[in-house]
Amino acid sequence: MDNILALVLAGGRVDELLCLTETRAKASVTIFGIYRIIDFVLSNLMHSGIENVGILSQYRPQDLVRHISSGEHWDYVGRKRAIRILAPYSGFKGSDWYRGTADAVYQNISYIEEFLPEHILVAAADHIYRMDYTPMIEFHLEKKADATICFTKIRTKSSRFGYGITNKEQRLIKYLEKPSSPPSDLVSMTLYIFRTKYILNVLKDNAAESSHEFGRDIIPRIIADRKTYAYIFNDYWAYARTIASYYGTNMDLIKHRINLNKWQIRTNLLERCKYRDRTPAYIKGAVSNSVVSDECIIEGDVRNSILSPGVRVAHGAVVSDSIIFHDVKIAPFARLKKVICDKDAKIGEHSIIGGFGNKVKSKNHNKFLGSGITVLGKNSSIPDHTRIGANTVIYPSARITNNDIQPGSTVI
Amino acid sequence: MKKNIVAMLLAGGVGSRLNILARERAKPAIPFGSIYRIIDFTMSNIANSNVDVVGVLTQYKPLSLMAHIDNGKPWDLFGRTRSVEILPPKTGEVMSDWYKGTSDAVYQNIDFIEDFSPELVLVVSGDHIYNMDYRSLIKFHIQCKAHATVCLIKVPKKDAHHFGIASINEHNQITGWVEKPAEPRSNLASMGVYVFRKEWLVRALQIAAKKDGFDFARDIIPVMSKKKRVYGFVFNGYWRDVGTIDAYWQANMDLLSGRSYIDLRTWQVKTNFSVKGEIGDRPSTYFSRNARVQNSLIARGCVIEGQVTNSIISPGVRVHKNAKISDSIIFHESIVNSQAVINRCIIDKSVKIGRSTTLGSGINSPNRDFPKHLFTGITVVGKKAAIKSTLNIGKNCIIMPGTRVKQDCLSGTTFGVKS
Repeated sequence: MDNILALVLAGGRVDELLCLTETRAKASVTIFGIYRIIDFVLSNLMHSGIENVGILSQYRPQDLVRHISSGEHWDYVGRKRAIRILAPYSGFKGSDWYRGTADAVYQNISYIEEFLPEHILVAAADHIYRMDYTPMIEFHLEKKADATICFTKIRTKSSRFGYGITNKEQRLIKYLEKPSSPPSDLVSMTLYIFRTKYILNVLKDNAAESSHEFGRDIIPRIIADRKTYAYIFNDYWAYARTIASYYGTNMDLIKHRINLNKWQIRTNLLERCKYRDRTPAYIKGAVSNSVVSDECIIEGDVRNSILSPGVRVAHGAVVSDSIIFHDVKIAPFARLKKVICDKDAKIGEHSIIGGFGNKVKSKNHNKFLGSGITVLGKNSSIPDHTRIGANTVIYPSARITNNDIQPGSTVI
Repeated sequence: MKKNIVAMLLAGGVGSRLNILARERAKPAIPFGSIYRIIDFTMSNIANSNVDVVGVLTQYKPLSLMAHIDNGKPWDLFGRTRSVEILPPKTGEVMSDWYKGTSDAVYQNIDFIEDFSPELVLVVSGDHIYNMDYRSLIKFHIQCKAHATVCLIKVPKKDAHHFGIASINEHNQITGWVEKPAEPRSNLASMGVYVFRKEWLVRALQIAAKKDGFDFARDIIPVMSKKKRVYGFVFNGYWRDVGTIDAYWQANMDLLSGRSYIDLRTWQVKTNFSVKGEIGDRPSTYFSRNARVQNSLIARGCVIEGQVTNSIISPGVRVHKNAKISDSIIFHESIVNSQAVINRCIIDKSVKIGRSTTLGSGINSPNRDFPKHLFTGITVVGKKAAIKSTLNIGKNCIIMPGTRVKQDCLSGTTFGVKS
């Protein structure tokens, strides 16, 4: 596929994932134990034979840069194959932050022109799915489309998405971004293929305007040219835009809605183990309906949970319905229920985290935290005998002085 | 390019006492400790000791080994100043092609060593499990102004007849050397790890070659220690020669003993994780509601639905519901179907064990074809063998690679064509 260039949108800042995205872009949040969210789109691109990928990143990209490294983990090394991180840069006219998804592409025209691709594939970095892009590309070519937008069918009343309406020939005749009530069940996956010459002209015209988003500004506009088509994807597709949806997507793994053994997802496993390889997991305790990664040492109980590499669950400790990131240490007789715990946290003996006060909404993050999940930030250190209620968020490196933290709290 | 030290890693041995585990691969390439291969321990020792250049001497069935070593990158032996080179036997002006022994293999690659004009040559073997910083050995060698230094380890007197046994004086100089003595005079066994001053190594190899001497332990060290300054460096850590089925099984079980014989974390062992034929990385392991796991090492990419006790499980293994595995070692991608019972077995890669089949039960009678290989009750199943449902396979059995077993096998049986 040497006439197609892929651009991955990985720049957006999101508040809804609270402290999980305090030090990293959403695309580099850990998922299913060993992956980062961006691994899914990169693996899809690799399996679809796309040879060059530009990643548009702006918000806190360090983790992402380290994770992508040379691109070799997705086989993007060689004379013809490469992944490039396209960060904002300053030109003669001073600082030019990306003002939106469309602007990010527009500002990288020189990168696009390097390859002179006939078509550009644009994909969001924060969706969880396994898709061969080849049939969609063939569809785009067959229809001689200027633009092809990928939709998936979801029956939802949520107004978070972009919705499309098509005619019999699968031409897109209407597109609504975040409408108050959904006009159809066709939800945009933020996955587009454009004819390069066509879209560059559109982006040039848009540059003078005040808003620069594909969903809000570009797609509604190009429909008028009557050469925009809708391609429908019918398999598993999930997102992680909020704490609740991130949690739910993780849990889909242990509900067997996803078979990662078949998906063939690649990741960078070297990142946090430069000087040696992670050892196998050592299990002495009880593990039930859970995913446990390399180098975990389990002496306590783990139920319905997903553990990243290097997690230690000491004897007498119970971890249930939780997502625990790399190298977290859980001391004897601690109990964690419905917790998302970021990397390198330490949980003290006999502490009780989550599982009570599920109905008390978060005082500071009312919109984001209400489904009974407790979030512990990176490097949190929870003293022995501490109680922390549900819908609570502990920010990274917060100092905990109170040993009874009520449900719905925010500790900074 | 000039290097102070070059390592020569002996990885050509046949490993016949490991029987079918070494049938399709060199001994150093046999999987160990769930995710590693035996050679990883030596390769990691070399890398962790900051030795930059390694020649790997191969001869017997080197394909798995070469694929595993790859370009040396997993051990960071890759770059402008660091490298691993595979040194297979070759023909030259003289048609002396095969390596006739350990020292002959090094002798035939003196050109490789001379390319780096090193002062020292480190000779190690690729089939031992240990963790050692060779820099302390090298320092000792230099302090003693030795021509050669041999690494020694204390072994129980009863086992001494398997090894080269050294006697040393109060300055650690080697005063006597007997290869596999019937009545050992000391308990200091050679670990097969040597440091030489390069010019003395070259000279000794040339002299030995003229007298048809091809082996370090038999022809080089005994002669050198009579005339030159040869010292013994006594190593105090864990070290195992895993050259027999029993020793191999026991060393694996040492990973689970809780007495931290082998501490994989502090040993900083590196391996090559790339998966043949698969494009993705293996996801983390899933344990179902019915999984019961006790004191076991479990690699990534497994699905565990049954019981696993005191066992070592490699990547990609499936243990179905109500299957019971104990005191066993299971290699990559093998499938254990429901209600199968496996006790004290070593199961090679991509084996299928049928439903309700039992392995490793019955009386402990030695294997009739290889009584010296299998007599402690361990049953070994070869790569890609398939054992049908509801069968009984006894102790000390060998199931040859690739066979389809449709009948019961009493203890001590070898199933399939023997070669």
